[in-house]
Amino acid sequence: MPRRREPRPAPALELKTTRLAGIQVILNSAEHAALATHISTLFAATPDFFGGEAAVFECGRLPSDAASPDWAWLAQELQSRGLNPFAVQNASPELAAAASRAGLLVLNAAAPAPVAAAPEPVPEPLPEPAAALVPQPAAPVPTRIIDKPLRSGQRVYAAGGDIVVLAAVNPGAEVIADGSIHVYAPLKGRALAGARGDVTARIFTTHLEAELVSIAGVYRTFDTALDATVAKKPAQIRLAAASQIVIEPL
Amino acid sequence: MATIITITSGKGGVGKTTTSASIASGLAMRGFKTAVIDFDVGLRNLDLIMGCERRVVYDFVNVIQGDANLHQALIKDKHADNLFVLPASQTRDKDALTEEGVEKVLKDLEHQGFDYIVCDSPAGIEHGAVMALTFADEAIVVTNPEVSSVRDSDRILGIIQSKSRRAVEGREPVKEHLLVTRYSPKRAHEGEMLTYTDIQELLRIPLLGVIPESEAVLHASNQGIPAIHQKDTPVADAYLDAIGRFLGETHPLRFVDHEKPGLLKRLFGGK
Repeated sequence: MPRRREPRPAPALELKTTRLAGIQVILNSAEHAALATHISTLFAATPDFFGGEAAVFECGRLPSDAASPDWAWLAQELQSRGLNPFAVQNASPELAAAASRAGLLVLNAAAPAPVAAAPEPVPEPLPEPAAALVPQPAAPVPTRIIDKPLRSGQRVYAAGGDIVVLAAVNPGAEVIADGSIHVYAPLKGRALAGARGDVTARIFTTHLEAELVSIAGVYRTFDTALDATVAKKPAQIRLAAASQIVIEPL
Repeated sequence: MATIITITSGKGGVGKTTTSASIASGLAMRGFKTAVIDFDVGLRNLDLIMGCERRVVYDFVNVIQGDANLHQALIKDKHADNLFVLPASQTRDKDALTEEGVEKVLKDLEHQGFDYIVCDSPAGIEHGAVMALTFADEAIVVTNPEVSSVRDSDRILGIIQSKSRRAVEGREPVKEHLLVTRYSPKRAHEGEMLTYTDIQELLRIPLLGVIPESEAVLHASNQGIPAIHQKDTPVADAYLDAIGRFLGETHPLRFVDHEKPGLLKRLFGGK
């Protein structure tokens, strides 16, 4: 009788390298008033643009004699807008010391390794799915998953990857992804895949009734009725060779 | 604990104030001590619908700014025993509503033993509407059976889910209810209007009730008596059913099916 090999139990802990997708916050000024004004105007129209992405303050452009900005305040301002700053990089020793006192990590551009190893000191208000912790060498950016209806005026953006929406995207709502968009419910709003120019991105839905679809900047609206084979039916939208939007039944 | 109910819609003219007056009256008729607050500062209407416009001395903004106390500003309703109206100011604008001020008034009402506080929201998604929904425990979204109203309701639901205190503090979310008003079963049947199932399919929140289109509503507004008091009219019955459902009872939907008029009815007319 052949002996079955017992599967080796997975170790409790594994170490693998990973690249985190994050946002660089490039500081051109350390002045409180200028920063405050710019932050509020920058986020005024789209306060929920970010959904808890990690962020690093890039200080390389600050004048060498710049006074240290109020790091704790700055981090708090960005956190309230969905970014999670956890470190500074290219900071002068004085700036780095102040940042470190405010609980931020100090990184050097030459040694990016700590980015991966560093635990995030900031508590995440909306923890992303734990996918990032599972070893997934091929998918460095976790897919963003939305399970509540997206309502008119709401907008979600999946930076660097795909998005899966399990509830309806209502008219006037907007789903944007750098990768592909999957909507397992009626898609009645706008869907913009390949937002950073990925022409291979696609849009999939189980019920196509969109106001607008776009792939890598090529868009189509639906002023004229959709073909009966795809209207309100499962469909896929992709970009054909001649930069043409193609809509096919699934 | 007082429960704060916001009556909102996004779009104007769909029946928020009529609904606020009837829901507040209905809760008071069930024995709950209820206050209804007009958040439409500058476009005061609730006092007219409730028929207390001649008794307004102090208003919501006076209370917020400390010029009067709650006791002076609350107007006791003529038709229901446990009901009090806090009118809006007609001479100010909505910036007079501060978050701290509104919160203090709501807290004070709670301390005075009110069971329900009904907030009649202004139309739109600006400051006044946001103030009316910030402190909500439950929200009744009033929607007419037409696409623009449904889309605006969708928008306001998104705002409730992002700007209410419950959402900001990560507590249990605001409980949402859909109330379809000005519904004509005949026109919905003939495809001239959305049906209530179309609306519910898009908004995806539980249906509290369907209020039929009726001349009784106009009549009630002109008389200054909330529509729920128009005895034996479909509108009043539909609001009474909605109150029952709000309190957890089960009532079948009425006034939503179109019956073709029979031969006799067609021959002899009649309403």
